[in-house]
Amino acid sequence: MARKLPPLLLDPSGGVPIYRQIMDQVRAYTATGVLKPGDQLPSIRDLAKTLRVNPTTIVHAYSELEHGGILERQQGRGVFVAATAEQVSVAEARADLRRMAERLAMDAVQLGVPLATVQRWMAEALSTVPDRERRQGENANDHGGHNSSRALEEVEHAGDGN
Amino acid sequence: MPAMAIEARGLCKAFGDEAALDGLDLAVPEGSVYGLIGRNGAGKTTAIKLLLGLLHADEGNALVLGLDMWSATPLERSRVAAVLQDWQAYDWMSGNELCVHSAAFYPRWDDRYAFRLVDGFELTTAMERPVGRLSGGQRRRLAVVLALAARPDVLILDEPAANLDPIARRGLLDALVDVLAAEPSPTVLYSTHLISDLERLADHVGIMHAGSMLAAGPLDALSASVRRVQLVFDHVPQPDLSLPGALIMEVTGLVATAVVLGVSDAGLKALADRMGARLDVFPLGLEDVFVELVASAERRAAPKAQGRLVGARDERRPEGFR
Repeated sequence: MARKLPPLLLDPSGGVPIYRQIMDQVRAYTATGVLKPGDQLPSIRDLAKTLRVNPTTIVHAYSELEHGGILERQQGRGVFVAATAEQVSVAEARADLRRMAERLAMDAVQLGVPLATVQRWMAEALSTVPDRERRQGENANDHGGHNSSRALEEVEHAGDGN
Repeated sequence: MPAMAIEARGLCKAFGDEAALDGLDLAVPEGSVYGLIGRNGAGKTTAIKLLLGLLHADEGNALVLGLDMWSATPLERSRVAAVLQDWQAYDWMSGNELCVHSAAFYPRWDDRYAFRLVDGFELTTAMERPVGRLSGGQRRRLAVVLALAARPDVLILDEPAANLDPIARRGLLDALVDVLAAEPSPTVLYSTHLISDLERLADHVGIMHAGSMLAAGPLDALSASVRRVQLVFDHVPQPDLSLPGALIMEVTGLVATAVVLGVSDAGLKALADRMGARLDVFPLGLEDVFVELVASAERRAAPKAQGRLVGARDERRPEGFR
């Protein structure tokens, strides 16, 4: 049972609230399976000290994640990754991907790039993803659950850059 | 509504004919970490001295823990501890002697905690020397030790990180996080120019300008109220293009960029749709929010003299879109 949370990188001045940055990264770790159901997270006090942020920020992030089904609090024992975490976080990552597709469509229209060209570029991009990862992605059902960890990581990173 | 640990209304204070505070309102919720930011001369230090009862207000009133510190008893005052910028007194005393001295004034003085802080701040050897012979950074760290070890209900810090090198600043940040993680933790009022430190610690922020409060509220809400937007048009937009809530706007060819205050995402989206423009919204960090709000207030104060209008180029604007 891992007690150590993988590193969280914070950019206090980036305009994204710190609790949100913590939430996004914990979600990314659960979506990619780095954090698994039952893994214990650091205490509020410890994580506040590690990240050098106000403990109320950690409380905020943890309660939102708990509310969203990613984390669960076990009375007197601490905070753990919830059983529902993978399903929830993969679904969220897929929703992000969907929004990126909408964005891509809008940009293509704005630039006057025809649909056929966008589809060809997409196919070319997909062909550079290693075989194994692609097969996993194709097997994933629509509610998520067995998605390619690599593809999800890319979704998260692309989302950060917006 | 939570109780207020610090509450000031209509504070005015002039030095000669120079107004330092001009109707300042300040409300710090109990248990919060309140960051006070503002340009040099905005009145932060004067406000803090009025709160502590070190100066008397010309008008208005200031309550800390419901008490006017100007007339509070020593025991009541001991619930409040501060780190001030111009700490001069007791230069002949050593740090150790100062701890003994402070212990006499603060009933909750925590000697073991003081010792731990001295160690964490790398002050152990400096504690033997007279305070007057310490470096600026050492004096500042010693002042923080004295304030924290007093275990106050309200902790007031005026530029505590001034004169500190980056390593010492981290030490200070660590000590403050440690204090906040303790039960019960004090209410903290913290003035600083180091906005990135503040973004880590503060849950409430007040932006002071020209002796009064320009904007105040929960950090996340304040940050989210100001955004940078970009509109991309199909056709060159009307020359009289305007955006509601725009603090400043600039149109270059098909692209309009603006900083807007207090307009929701949905409002912006509806506006862009109506204009047939593509919309991008960029969140701003607290530092950019501060710069934009203060620059806008300064433009309003002297619009003619500086020849600035909304839409004109503002040289003080930070770098363009990220």
